[in-house]
Amino acid sequence: MSFQRPVKEEPGEKVFRTTSPFTCGPGCGILAHVKDGVVVKVEPGDFPGTSHVCARGLSYVKLAYHPDRLKYPMKRSGDRGEGKWQRISWEEAEDTIALRLREIGDRYGTSSLAWMIGGGVLGTLATSAIMGFAGACQGTFILPLGIGDSAGPSGDRVSYGTSLAYGERYTVNFDKPALILVWGNNPIETDSFKWRRLRDGKERGARVVVIDPLFCTTASKADEYLQIRPGTDGALALGMMNVILDRGLQDTSFMTDYTVGPFLVRSDNGLFLREKDISPGESEKYIVWDAGTSAPQAYDMPKVAPALTGVYTVKGVDCKPAFQLLVELVEQYPPQRASEITGIPADTITRLAIEYATNKPASSFRGMGCQRTFHGDLSFRAITTLAALTGNITFEGYNGFEPNFGAFMTRGIPNLLPILNMYEAILTDKPHPIKALWLARNNLVNQDPNFNKVTRELIPRLELIVVADIFMSITARYADIVLPACSFFECSDVVTGAGAGTQDYMQLQQKVIEPLYESRSDFDIFASLAKRMGMEGYMEESAEEAVELVLASGHPTMKGITLEKLKEGPVLPSRYSMPAFTTPSERLEFYSETLREYGQELPIYLEPLESGRTPLAQKYPLSFSTAHTKYRIHSQFANVPWTRELDPEPALDINPADAQPRGIQDGDLIRVYNDRGEVKLKARLHQGVRPGLVNIFQGWSPWDYAEGTHQALSHDIINPAQQAVYEPNSAFYDILVEVERVE
Amino acid sequence: MAKKYGLVIDLERCTGCQTCTIACKVESSMEIGSGMRVETVGGPHRDTPAGRYPDLSMYYLPIACMHCDQPLCRDACPTEAIYQRSDGIVLIDEEKCNGCQECLPACPYQALVYDPERDVVRKCSLCFERLDQGFEPFCALCCGDQAIFGGDVADPESQVSQLIAQRNAYILKPELATGPAIHYCPPKPRRRA
Repeated sequence: MSFQRPVKEEPGEKVFRTTSPFTCGPGCGILAHVKDGVVVKVEPGDFPGTSHVCARGLSYVKLAYHPDRLKYPMKRSGDRGEGKWQRISWEEAEDTIALRLREIGDRYGTSSLAWMIGGGVLGTLATSAIMGFAGACQGTFILPLGIGDSAGPSGDRVSYGTSLAYGERYTVNFDKPALILVWGNNPIETDSFKWRRLRDGKERGARVVVIDPLFCTTASKADEYLQIRPGTDGALALGMMNVILDRGLQDTSFMTDYTVGPFLVRSDNGLFLREKDISPGESEKYIVWDAGTSAPQAYDMPKVAPALTGVYTVKGVDCKPAFQLLVELVEQYPPQRASEITGIPADTITRLAIEYATNKPASSFRGMGCQRTFHGDLSFRAITTLAALTGNITFEGYNGFEPNFGAFMTRGIPNLLPILNMYEAILTDKPHPIKALWLARNNLVNQDPNFNKVTRELIPRLELIVVADIFMSITARYADIVLPACSFFECSDVVTGAGAGTQDYMQLQQKVIEPLYESRSDFDIFASLAKRMGMEGYMEESAEEAVELVLASGHPTMKGITLEKLKEGPVLPSRYSMPAFTTPSERLEFYSETLREYGQELPIYLEPLESGRTPLAQKYPLSFSTAHTKYRIHSQFANVPWTRELDPEPALDINPADAQPRGIQDGDLIRVYNDRGEVKLKARLHQGVRPGLVNIFQGWSPWDYAEGTHQALSHDIINPAQQAVYEPNSAFYDILVEVERVE
Repeated sequence: MAKKYGLVIDLERCTGCQTCTIACKVESSMEIGSGMRVETVGGPHRDTPAGRYPDLSMYYLPIACMHCDQPLCRDACPTEAIYQRSDGIVLIDEEKCNGCQECLPACPYQALVYDPERDVVRKCSLCFERLDQGFEPFCALCCGDQAIFGGDVADPESQVSQLIAQRNAYILKPELATGPAIHYCPPKPRRRA
């Protein structure tokens, strides 16, 4: 294992390079110093060009050796949530689980057995094992992104196609951007690899503009900060597009050659006009209006000169190029209107739009915050369309890894169900019952929406709850069986960076110490259970063999990547040529046929579901968010003394303009509430939070609050357009609340 | 010329991520507190800005022991536990330290931390054990923003001295004439549209 710089090793120590599989994105390089079978310290391992292990990663030793770690399997000996446990052996745990899975599967159908993963330490091997086992049981695998992260991907699927979860690579120029827009994203705290790439652009001369309702640390490094009204990023993008079109600053050739702009749309049904509509029996080819022949032509006809605007009658049906429809939408958002919606001054919108269109290349980083309001998919689509309109789209040839997630699906493929649809299924048995839930490193009760609904309505309808985790999380407290999972020091896996150009490497997570107590890796948990359930020859691979299996997908990006190669250090995916867009039209689709029935064929602006401009705001006038922070990774690290010391207790960020009328002073105990629930905690007054918005930095569990919990305020309402395209999102930042002082 | 080990911290690059705070705990095995702390220069609370929108501002200030030319902590120590090496590094001999904590209020930078477990006072040691073997201070190594540099601030040719000159770096509380060894490169001005 080669290190790129000398490492100071103390006598008796061995140093191993591993990585962290946290879903914070990066997968940092870690050097673990091991002495006498104990990890005594970690330090950053090198990558080409960068190296960093953040405050959380450096504190991981304290998590791995925390006295509260789950040490052995347990079954509950009281009611769910009562906290009464009885230690059992792994054999008894497995027999109980096997019996219950069989019983429940027989009674309700095997699709009622569901497996769910979370943000707590799951590499590719662990994830494949869970998906495979779910398939072997003919069960259901719960798709994980709906936990606040699927609106953006839903929007990006529409714009770019299905090849990547996040379309970051298209709107970000890493090389030498002139302007960088950061929309609802705080990479300094949530993705340090991304931050360094962004900072490099800044140091090369880019001007940085941060757009965020909360003055986050990334905003503190911006050249300009726009404190936008939550959930209105789409309106800002439309306003900017209005200015750009008004001044003729658009990139006509990009729109013509790379987007559906010139494709004619039928006014009778909203579908693209096809060749077969003109001549029955002909192809599905898209049709454009050729300026040369003044006639409709196939889009790929040689020397075609497509019109982008106008109305054209074809076979008695009025048709407009999709670009014309976009123009008609954008015309409704002059700077004054965009300003009224977003709270950003009209002349700022005008100035920014001109700069964006002329000071190129302009990069747009879009973050999770930007897509956590109900119509986050539309926000992402509008920002993408703005980029396309100005030719600020790059095809930087990023190839994500395509490992063999199906490595263990040799006995069956699981049913797939998004999180919010799982909620429905548990409650209504539609599309099928969900009666058994296995949660692997997943803190559902704390991290998924609507705490009161989950604990009072969903959990009672589940007949078996198994939780495999490191600590007795609030979710584990509701389990029937708890299984001790191990830390990432104690098992091997393969970790790929979240990528999108900021950290493209695949790394080996190396086992450096034996599992503590009776804990096991997820792979080992399922391998043992499979054996106990009589699945001969299944998951009998050693950890190394299992890793090899997961690497051997045969996909071009995995070419040449073996376990031996990974042992030498981080590897990049092999490049292969792929289409720029994998939409049905193979073009950037700012117009989508699929979303016509939802009225969202274009990236229209819609108010957040619980916006300050709805009737609900009469009762609950403040918007609520739970932004992510450097002190925790989701609900992890809150109980680790080193990170807890830095951020000892939860607080509500509130602007003095909202606090004063409510008689709230700094440090007061306050109650935050809406119809769904409440939480009590201290108030923290400052100017960084937009008036009209209150925030709690996420990661706290109910026992950290004076009373209640933040998750009791959130809702699980499904966005049907997102469901149609990908996975409906939990709109964590689309919540209205009221705040009052507790006497 | 006598060596003077110190740090240069680039406040333009520092993002307040607190990696250095934890890194120091790792390297010096400090369970409570750290030889490094990162202060917010801005609003009334940690990680909050000064001013009112649209004029909000915030930056971070990592503070460790300044290894002063004139260590006031040493002057205050009744047991002579605090001493200074010829290269300027100020250290505490934990055998001699009796945990009286007289040094804590004497330090104008509040750089000293009391360890209740061992009943001694601790602080940044400039990772002298690393420096003596040619390794950089652990905070400098771990800083993801490459914002901390260790070196000889008395040598005008050193990387740190050049950085100090280039960026017009400053020291904290110059009026006290403590002669601190940590220099700060100020944050850069914003680029207007």
